[in-house]
Amino acid sequence: MSLIIRVEGLNKTFRVARRRKGLLGGLRSVVDPEVRVVHAVQDLSLNVERGEMIGLVGPNGAGKSTTIKMLTGILMPTSGEVQVAGLVPIRQRRELASRIGVVFGQRTQLWWDLPLIDSLLLLRHLYRVPETRHRDNLARLRSLLDLDEFIDTPVRQLSLGQRMRGDLAAALLHDPELLYLDEPTIGLDVVAKARIREFLLSINAQLGTTILLTTHDMDDVETLCPRMLIIDHGRKLYDGTVANIRERFGGERTLIAVLDPVELDLLPRDAHGLPILADLPTGVRLAQADGPRLWLSFGRDTMPAHELVSWLGARYRLRDVTFQEPEIEDIIRRIYEEGLLLQEVRG
Amino acid sequence: MFSGLLEDIRLYKHLIGIQIRAQAQYKVDLALGILTMLLFTCLEFMAVLLFFTQFPRLGDWSVGDVALLAAIMALGAGIAEVIGAGVDTFDKTIRLGEFDRLLLRPVGAFMQVLGSDFRLRRLGRFIEGVIVFVVALRFLPGLHWTLAKVIILPIGIVSGAFVFIAILLLGATLCFWTVETTELTNLLYDGGREMLNYPIIIYNDALKRVFLFVVPLAFGSYVPTCYILGRPLPFGLPAELAFVAPLVALAFALVSGFVWNFGVKHYQSTGS
Amino acid sequence: MLRFYLEVARTAFRRQLIYRWANIAGLVTNIFFGIIFSYLIIALYRARPSVSGYNVQDTLRYTWLVQAMLMVVMPFSWQDLMLTIRSGEVVSDLSKPFYLYWYWFSRECGRSLYYFIFRAIPVYLAGMLLFGLGLPGEWRFWLAYSLALPLGAMLGIAYRFLSNVMAFWVIEARAVISLSEVTALFFAGSYVPLPLLPSWLRAITDWLPFRGFLSLPAEALLGKLNGIALWLGIGRQLLWLVVLTGIVLLLTDSATRRVVSQGG
Repeated sequence: MSLIIRVEGLNKTFRVARRRKGLLGGLRSVVDPEVRVVHAVQDLSLNVERGEMIGLVGPNGAGKSTTIKMLTGILMPTSGEVQVAGLVPIRQRRELASRIGVVFGQRTQLWWDLPLIDSLLLLRHLYRVPETRHRDNLARLRSLLDLDEFIDTPVRQLSLGQRMRGDLAAALLHDPELLYLDEPTIGLDVVAKARIREFLLSINAQLGTTILLTTHDMDDVETLCPRMLIIDHGRKLYDGTVANIRERFGGERTLIAVLDPVELDLLPRDAHGLPILADLPTGVRLAQADGPRLWLSFGRDTMPAHELVSWLGARYRLRDVTFQEPEIEDIIRRIYEEGLLLQEVRG
Repeated sequence: MFSGLLEDIRLYKHLIGIQIRAQAQYKVDLALGILTMLLFTCLEFMAVLLFFTQFPRLGDWSVGDVALLAAIMALGAGIAEVIGAGVDTFDKTIRLGEFDRLLLRPVGAFMQVLGSDFRLRRLGRFIEGVIVFVVALRFLPGLHWTLAKVIILPIGIVSGAFVFIAILLLGATLCFWTVETTELTNLLYDGGREMLNYPIIIYNDALKRVFLFVVPLAFGSYVPTCYILGRPLPFGLPAELAFVAPLVALAFALVSGFVWNFGVKHYQSTGS
Repeated sequence: MLRFYLEVARTAFRRQLIYRWANIAGLVTNIFFGIIFSYLIIALYRARPSVSGYNVQDTLRYTWLVQAMLMVVMPFSWQDLMLTIRSGEVVSDLSKPFYLYWYWFSRECGRSLYYFIFRAIPVYLAGMLLFGLGLPGEWRFWLAYSLALPLGAMLGIAYRFLSNVMAFWVIEARAVISLSEVTALFFAGSYVPLPLLPSWLRAITDWLPFRGFLSLPAEALLGKLNGIALWLGIGRQLLWLVVLTGIVLLLTDSATRRVVSQGG
């Protein structure tokens, strides 16, 4: 069976007791607690094949961390079935732990006061990796992640990017089949982010490591994940590709046309100085102009892109034509704010 | 189950090995820490000695008797405080949200907690125990040592250390429900240690029973001391009971471990 | 200016009211240790009924009084000032139009009052309930106590401030504070009641400032000090208060100048 994660009807309900104020209130809370029921995860089902790379997306408090905790055996589900690498996480926690790797973006698993190399050596004993295999893995990870320049530095002196690379090495030393990453690129600069993404792609390609990645950074998702899950209010709202989401909720696309400057000068201008394009098809509007560059927004349903190009080309001399997709962040934000997918689920 | 235990012990050795090396690097700091603690604990013992300048006996215990008791207690507690520092500071681990990480490793959580902090600085109390032991011997010139008495020393001390660590573990387990009770656990630990510093005959019967049968700290201090001094135990218990100390300590440790496991399960069902 | 300091004291008092549970936890600790010492003392006194004019009842009362007054005079591990020095907060305090020492003095007075009402009284009451201590009868003793206790509290404030202010010059301030605390507690009668010490040691403790912290007020309330001894004791309290306060003010001045010249 090539399914590495199998989740069916997963539920997690928290009973949160409200603490009352004051001395008497504190005592009352023990005897007669006011309990609020929180449905952190509702009826979640998910199948993940070995070697997949999946992005987990959702607003804060959506239930992403709760789901990951149940997948890794830290948290006990209220109901539902979970199987990871053929094991039941909550019951076979220790066995599962030796087959998965987890990286938290904001919290390190490295020992703060020790040099990075000491942490990596210590983890060999923690994960019971045979010496030769550990040596080989360490050498490979050192070169892949460029650790040598800071491998002897105490972890507390490392920059965020360096620490993240150290954490990645730490998580992979024992050859896990499955890697969870919680906000791995948060706070990193563009170069560091690119590096991490490159690394993840290569281990997925070379080792077949299944990767599950929680993130708020849409670039992470677009660059790395062919498959994306959107979770909100404890429910799985979407399970598919990024392109698909864009198509369904993308709204408008933008065509950027670069006119021949001679043509540009011939165009009449309006009150704001924007060139006027005569008889634009319905649903197409000029959003912006910068010299010879024109941004034309058009709804997906309005007309196919190539038709608009033909229409333009027939009337004006074009130097260049490119397309701009709507920012996935904006799409996602719309989905959260307007509860677009929630309505679908409920309706 | 036992092969797992052996692995865990080997892992523990590695964990503390690294810490010892790291702590030994700051020699001056370490020496200062040990000396400070040594000073404070010796001061506490000096207070006891000063009492004896005015009062000839405590109950019917002489200064030498009391010193021997204090020494054995300090040795056991000293070991527990060096080894159990990680358990002692477990509230910090929970507060910082680091317990999750421990659960993500293929090792028992307790062994990781225990191995997370091995504080050489706390050797002060153990050293004080050695000093007080020497002092006690000087106050007890008539004490006749048999082989059995020599053996009971490490048995009692190690059992005492076990009970202390088990108490710390019970306190740590409370942290799964609330981190607000650390003062209570400190009180139980420090209070217990302070109370058992004196022969339990000065307390009422209920307390004697507690320290013998409920929280068996007496088996790490009072009982072995009575054996060595040839003093009778309360409630007509046989002096040889001192040799049962390891079993008693183990039983208490198992109870403590059971409660800990219950606490971990609770943590896993309610999240952090 | 006085109104400002009074307000500081009142605020400090009010702020302590919030930490109810912490106070209860501390209360239980004080009572617990009071109980342990009581058993110890009762057992010791079986061998000898009276020492230096103190019988078992006197010594029990003394012990509970000292336990009760601990938080009023020497709260354990008081590092508030040291922490503001470490964090640099003290620099902004020094640039404000008040005297740093009198500011902390007022704060601690407010807290001491809180601890007198909500710690000292309950602790001693517990001792009364558990060991039948009773209260000293004569009003002269209470009068003496009402003089000696505030002086003791003020001595405690000055001393704690002194040990903390060392953080301006010493790196290992925490060790200094712990050491100074333990020394003070020992010579104040918290480990061994001072009246029970051998006479040569008593001669030393009589002249150290620490007796005035805890032991003198307790001895006064128990009526163990006749006229001359009492006035001598109170006189020594005043003397040490002046000396300690003088040293503290000098050091604070020096620290202020240092901070101002170095720019924090």
